[in-house]
Amino acid sequence: MSPEPATGDVQSGAEPAGSPGVEPGCETGTVVTALGPVAGYRPPPEVYDEMLDAEGRPREPWSHVGRLIDGLGIAELGRRRAEAARLLANDGVIYQLASPDGVQPHRRWELDPVPVLLGSGQWAELERGVIQRAELLNMILGDLYGQRRLLRSGLVPPELVFSHPGFLREADQIAIPGSQLPACGVDVARDASGAWWALTDRTQTPSGFGYALENRVVLSRVFPSMYRDAQAHRLAPFFRGLRSALRAAAPPGVDEPRIVVLTPGPWSETAFEHAFLASYLGLALVEGSDLTVRDGRVWLRSLGAPKPVDVILRRVDGAYCDPLELRSDSLLGVPGLLEAARQGSVSVVNPIGSGVLENPALLALLPLLCERLLGQDLRLASVPTWWCGEPTQRRHVLGRLERLVLKSTTREAGSRTLLGWELSEAERDDMRRRIEAHPYDWVGQASLDLATVPAAGEHGLEPRHMLLRTFLVARGESYAAMPGALARIAPTVRGALIARRPDTGTVYKDVWVAASEPEDLTGFWLRPDRPTEAEPAGALTPTSRAAENLFWLGRYAERAESLVRVLRVVEDRRNDFADGMTMAGTVCLATLQDALARVSGKAPTDPHGPTDLVADVELPGSLAYAVRRLRDAAYPLRDQLSGDTWMVLGALESELLTPAPTARSGQLARVLTSLLALGGITGDSMVHDQGWRFLNAGRRLERALHMVALLRATVATAHDTATDSLVLESVLTAAESIITYRRRYRSHAQLDTVLHLLLLDPDNPRSVAYQLEQLTGDIAAVARRDVAGRLTEPERVVLQTSTALRLADLGELTHVEAGAVPGGGPAAGPGSRRRPRLAAFLDLLASQLRHAGESVDAEHFTHLLPQRPMPTPAGAGPGSHLRLV
Amino acid sequence: MTYRVVHRTEYSYPSTVSSSYGEVVMLPREQAGQQCLSSSLVISPEPTDLRERLDFFGNRTTYFAVLAPHTELTVTATSVVRVRGRAAAVERAAHPADSIGWWPARDRVQAAVGSGPNAEPDALDARQYVLGSPLVELSDELREYAAASFRTGAGLLDAAMSLSSRIHRDFEYLPGVTEVTSTIAEVLDHRAGVCQDFAHVAIGCLRSLGLAARYVSGYLETQPPPGQQKLLGSDASHAWFSVFVPGIGWIDLDPTNDQPVDDRYVTTAWGRDYTDVPPVKGVIFTRGDRQVLRVSVDVLRLDPADDPADAPSEPDERGTPTT
Repeated sequence: MSPEPATGDVQSGAEPAGSPGVEPGCETGTVVTALGPVAGYRPPPEVYDEMLDAEGRPREPWSHVGRLIDGLGIAELGRRRAEAARLLANDGVIYQLASPDGVQPHRRWELDPVPVLLGSGQWAELERGVIQRAELLNMILGDLYGQRRLLRSGLVPPELVFSHPGFLREADQIAIPGSQLPACGVDVARDASGAWWALTDRTQTPSGFGYALENRVVLSRVFPSMYRDAQAHRLAPFFRGLRSALRAAAPPGVDEPRIVVLTPGPWSETAFEHAFLASYLGLALVEGSDLTVRDGRVWLRSLGAPKPVDVILRRVDGAYCDPLELRSDSLLGVPGLLEAARQGSVSVVNPIGSGVLENPALLALLPLLCERLLGQDLRLASVPTWWCGEPTQRRHVLGRLERLVLKSTTREAGSRTLLGWELSEAERDDMRRRIEAHPYDWVGQASLDLATVPAAGEHGLEPRHMLLRTFLVARGESYAAMPGALARIAPTVRGALIARRPDTGTVYKDVWVAASEPEDLTGFWLRPDRPTEAEPAGALTPTSRAAENLFWLGRYAERAESLVRVLRVVEDRRNDFADGMTMAGTVCLATLQDALARVSGKAPTDPHGPTDLVADVELPGSLAYAVRRLRDAAYPLRDQLSGDTWMVLGALESELLTPAPTARSGQLARVLTSLLALGGITGDSMVHDQGWRFLNAGRRLERALHMVALLRATVATAHDTATDSLVLESVLTAAESIITYRRRYRSHAQLDTVLHLLLLDPDNPRSVAYQLEQLTGDIAAVARRDVAGRLTEPERVVLQTSTALRLADLGELTHVEAGAVPGGGPAAGPGSRRRPRLAAFLDLLASQLRHAGESVDAEHFTHLLPQRPMPTPAGAGPGSHLRLV
Repeated sequence: MTYRVVHRTEYSYPSTVSSSYGEVVMLPREQAGQQCLSSSLVISPEPTDLRERLDFFGNRTTYFAVLAPHTELTVTATSVVRVRGRAAAVERAAHPADSIGWWPARDRVQAAVGSGPNAEPDALDARQYVLGSPLVELSDELREYAAASFRTGAGLLDAAMSLSSRIHRDFEYLPGVTEVTSTIAEVLDHRAGVCQDFAHVAIGCLRSLGLAARYVSGYLETQPPPGQQKLLGSDASHAWFSVFVPGIGWIDLDPTNDQPVDDRYVTTAWGRDYTDVPPVKGVIFTRGDRQVLRVSVDVLRLDPADDPADAPSEPDERGTPTT
């Protein structure tokens, strides 16, 4: 799906590290340290270095920063890097998540603490180059899906376009207002002589600018004064530009467009960025199933009435956007989306089909096209590229495979970039056959000797190769470039940029472009300011899916918390009574284990012990399972939850969802701490809007259910006084009400007072009555009323439940049946008697509460039936009569 | 010849479908030798959205969305089409004065794009039909199979007709051995298939040689066995291929019946292969994973004396669907 944020395809042709040049660090580490990181930096000679000129003096924009870095020293630089890593982790910055079923940790984003500095003159030249390139790409895209003059005139070989899977015939003649390419990226690199080259154009769903902004936010926190002094261009204006470009793309006549970000979902590689962009720009983050097409328009399934959508910033690849006309197996798209786009009622940005420009075969044609279309020389050269679809160029490639980078023209799965000089003779022969068989699908590219840039290593600054992804947004007739970039550096000293193995760490850098004059300093190193335009009324109503996720987030958070408390009580009692010396202790422990089984939904005879109930992530009912479901509900809500949430979730994940679990001792306490923090964040940092109401309703419902289950398992049977007293005390502990009880009653636990505190007391935030009162408020706040005063189904059920509770007569309920419990069992002592009325009452409450949950679900959440393709009739009919005899 | 074509597709679903989104390519396109006098497309239950357009290839394509719950969906296309002089193009291409060798023909397709003196208006369009496509992957096997017909110096039309005849001879017409998504390699393995498979094989052979060939879907008037009455609903949709002859244009050949396409054929649509022009495709939302599909086609010759305006253009219920 989405590309790796910065795919370096460039190979350094330079000799491997260890050649003349200097190996920073190593044995000379102490000397280097004495000199200071910058003074000790020794890039290879004869190769352009971003920081040092040919004489080894810092270039102009680096002089001040260089002095500061020397002042810090390498050890401090290491600490700053750790600080950056901590900030990124706290923000939950990740790339490439584990699959929803998996429990692997995600790949963290690694940020080098040394920024890349570009002088305003250097930047201006590069900026002009990428802006011109975007203008050119825009014109090419408009022509390919419009009049196709470029093909008609023979300027672009038709096969180059017609054979490319990015050219979507279904998207033909669909144009959006203004630029056809509102946003794009260009990957550039500097060669050893200091010249810039364009390597790849990113036009499908250019990713990375959200990560670039996050890098800036973090680095400006790590080096506040250095950042201030460097007077680098701010990135916020670029994002305002993006927002303006999205508004400009809106269908004619729409003044206040509703704009959404279409994501493949929380498990996509760049999901972090999708959510980050959505919340930064104040847009709704949606998945394909949140949208529907009716009456030739796209609608957002939000709570209440569907809302029309005018602009879609898509992060789903073109071919997956519409299962009706494009890939019928795609579950990420919206059936009918292309038809709506064709009607002009919605603008998809970038337009579906823009991936055709990512064909590297186009690179060779750009100089000519620039001259013909813009009447200008191409300012930014592309890496020399030969397209095998053209016979002369094919011969060129086949004749020097060992010196070229071989690249598929598509980015389909399984097509990876090959380095000619690394192939064996047999592999080269195989490659020649593949190229001859499918010449249109291959290009050969020259390999560049790259410049170097300093990066913080263990012992000092090290020279690394670097790839910059620049970003552009349409502005009027032209483009605005982000004054900065996402820089990716090679993981090793002068090593290749290309990721050899998927687990190779990727290191990024922030890019500071010196402003020629000081910029406005408002909110300087705080998060760049948010756009000030108001969203159309009601735009922030959550989608039906978001509401459902919030509800389940509340339920699983509460379920996990309740489980931890019961698990702790069981653990304590086991420590007290596992020796089986007292009858009361033995019965109490057995009773609590029954309770654990009941609240976790596991049968009492389940062979799984309580250990599994903590850590077995595959076991429904376990703590780890609840935390996993909690995480799964939270990830799609990235755009709605406070940033601190990810700090807490990260801790929970490393506690319970990592393959190597952390130390068991104190684990439950640590998990409980995190869950309490989560409760604090959701309780104190979220606006109590409709979305929050669902979260709270989920929490309250779950807490009530848990309390009822706990009581049902423990107090529906009467034992002798000693046992009862132990059991009741344990229940009060598990219900987090023991302190209150002791302060209030100053006695051994008695059933009627315990029941009053846990069931009926409206002031105890743990009581069932309290949960029902909260629930009543929540479901009233989200109720859709057709007729004033008429109750919705969830309201009716909750009202019934709370009425039953209020009418309950505790004296009556605690009636004890005559005669011992038949069958006995470990949880029944010799004098145990049943309390059938209490059992029945608790069963009734449990069933009513479950019904309340189901009715919330039925009333508010959209349940889409599974999407399937229609069967397709064959070209021939059933009989053989079509063959004339 | 004037025909009334009724093409009806019925879907039955055992469990409720909440919504259906579909695209229909069943209405005949206009072209030289074929005129569509009237056409209608009726979808039941009534769609919320219904819109006709021309697709990338110029085919009449209808988008529909049925957004109320349903368990059955019927798509009925009815058209009255006049077909006249379709064989003329073949005759012209066969004329010695216009005959062109396949080797020069291939070079002319390549050279005919651009603004030079050799530019041909259809050539750009033809160029996309030289490339492989989703169901037509080019291979050495295809090129070798074609070689027996495409000898050095052979005329393009002669060679293409020879190829069509050999496919007719070498491949068995056997419904059921292939599916709509079968690739050419599978068809070559089985040496059997139905009309769309034969068309794909021919297209693959021509493209493997660098020639332009496209897939054509439509209908063929069939005759009942001698002495029997023609059964209603007994026809079917049909498919064949078309080869681009520089200077002349596209020539349609039917390998299933080993004959050039004449006035007994009605063209609906064309594309690179079947995937560009399925009669109906769509997306449904349902819990059920079973669906029943029934198709019936009637190609009725209208008495030449009939005024087409009087011909019934609404679907009538006489066509009993076959199973």
